[in-house]
Amino acid sequence: MNLVAAGLTHFQALTFFALVVSVTFAFLSKRELSERAKYIAWAFVAFLLVAVGIGWLMYPFSR
Amino acid sequence: MVEKTNSKEESSGTLVMGIVAAIAGWGVPGLGHLLLRRWAKAAVYFLCVGALACAGLMMRGGVFMAGANDLFDRLGFFADLGTGVFYFLAHLIQTAGPDVAHASGDYGTRMFATAGMLNLLTVLEAYEIGRGRRT
Repeated sequence: MNLVAAGLTHFQALTFFALVVSVTFAFLSKRELSERAKYIAWAFVAFLLVAVGIGWLMYPFSR
Repeated sequence: MVEKTNSKEESSGTLVMGIVAAIAGWGVPGLGHLLLRRWAKAAVYFLCVGALACAGLMMRGGVFMAGANDLFDRLGFFADLGTGVFYFLAHLIQTAGPDVAHASGDYGTRMFATAGMLNLLTVLEAYEIGRGRRT
């Protein structure tokens, strides 16, 4: 709670967002526990990789 | 004739259940699933939507108000309204007010809107379960 009040770093905010959305999507779309666990892991990693990838792609245009 | 009447009663009953679950789920995230005895989903949806909404507000994200002239602001209002009780309690959770001039406030705005959209998805699922179209 204090971490949020103090302000999350960009990566912490991204990680938190990715985790919460992945868990919700997993419970919305999958029924079995093992399927949900796989989906959470897959979606979480995909969120992080895509966000970091897009960040690197945009890096040359930031200067 | 009797079978038709019973079938009609059953279908209207499940329609009512679907609507009640949807309205309850919109008001309090997960409550619709709780009424339908989907305990795990109810807990997960409440925690996830609630955590995202509270984090967005504590990061001093903006909350869209009704009656905006801009189309995007209106869309933002409907997204925020999806959080249900968190929208109406936003001013109590976010005592310092919004600060979208900084990145964290901007992230907070998106997080709160995303919480609303996620809750609308759970509301649709609660409606479908209530109607008996989904388990």
